[in-house]
Amino acid sequence: MMPRFFSVVALGAMAGAFGCADSVPPPHDQWAAAQADVGRAQAGGAPDVPDARLHLQLAQEDLQRAKQLIGTDNARAASLCAVARSEAQLAFSLSGQARAEQLARSEEAEAQKAGR
Amino acid sequence: MNRLHERIIIGPVLLAAVACAGTHVPPKALTDARDDYLHARDGLAMQLDPTDVHEAQLALERAERAWEASPDDPTAVDLAIIADRRALLAQSQAATIKAYDDRNRAAAALETAKAAQLQSARAQLTQSEQTLGATQMQLNEQRAAAAAQQQRLQDLETKLKDARQTIAKIASVKDDERGMVITLSGEVLFQTGKWELKPAAMAKLDQVAEALRTKEQHIVVFGYTDTVGTRDHNMALSQMRAQTVRDYLVEKGLPGDLVTAQGKGPDDPISDNTSVEGRAQNRRVEIVVQPSK
Repeated sequence: MMPRFFSVVALGAMAGAFGCADSVPPPHDQWAAAQADVGRAQAGGAPDVPDARLHLQLAQEDLQRAKQLIGTDNARAASLCAVARSEAQLAFSLSGQARAEQLARSEEAEAQKAGR
Repeated sequence: MNRLHERIIIGPVLLAAVACAGTHVPPKALTDARDDYLHARDGLAMQLDPTDVHEAQLALERAERAWEASPDDPTAVDLAIIADRRALLAQSQAATIKAYDDRNRAAAALETAKAAQLQSARAQLTQSEQTLGATQMQLNEQRAAAAAQQQRLQDLETKLKDARQTIAKIASVKDDERGMVITLSGEVLFQTGKWELKPAAMAKLDQVAEALRTKEQHIVVFGYTDTVGTRDHNMALSQMRAQTVRDYLVEKGLPGDLVTAQGKGPDDPISDNTSVEGRAQNRRVEIVVQPSK
């Protein structure tokens, strides 16, 4: 395990020395995909649900940082795009969850009222 | 199968992570990812959304490997964050599925409750309609009874009028507070000092009895005298005469339980007892038909 660990570190150091920007292409597609996920979360009502809003903000910050790194550190930019996507997808899911739970609550209240 | 896969993969990866922990403390993102993954795996998510739980597992394995390979690389933290969000996503998806299930169950319960309410309302309506029908029928019966009663009263009225007209031909008829009063002169009915009816009196009383027979009203026959003679004698005579008239009327068909007799002697004179005419008027029999109650 240890030799492999050192070899990965060495590889990383080498990559750093020669510059990542050259070996990894700019993650334009990943950035666009993450941007689309953020848009979907916004349209899905994430800004109105506290939990979802938090992850939407994180996604937007990650996207912003990724944008700044494209061209200088493409590998990190791509990684941040992936993080942004997972944040945006979670935000979208949380807003859908809140909506479904609200529906269930009102339907249950109505059923209880009618059943009395 | 997922569990088996987990034991095979996650076990060694965690072991390696612990080995690394000797020199590096795992970042918070990674410990969060581990906790949230276990929560998803052991909770509702595994039952309702196993695909996303599996995705989260793969993401956690990637994060563990990256951290093991290069703990200082920020990309390893990125992968840990991604793994954590995957686990949270699986939980959120499962919660969403559960909420929709709850909602569908509540909707079904609501439908059932509404159907029961509708059925109950219909039953009430039917009951009300039946009650209304019965009340209507009762009302019709009451109306018919009232109409019949009205008819009976009208018939009685007519009969009374007819009787009055018949009697008016043979005796004086008037109304006072006691009812309809038929006054027959003592001379016409009896010989002086006697209480047997004269034959001519019987003919008259026959007509009176005929006219009154259809009436079901209380009748009192009053006998009166003038003031000649002792009071005791007059009282007894008037009582005998009233009784004779009463018995005759009953004999001719008037109901015995409704006709009574009473002697009043010289009381309640209708004229002056000092003249012959006045005394003659005071000697009389009054048949009083009391108003029906």
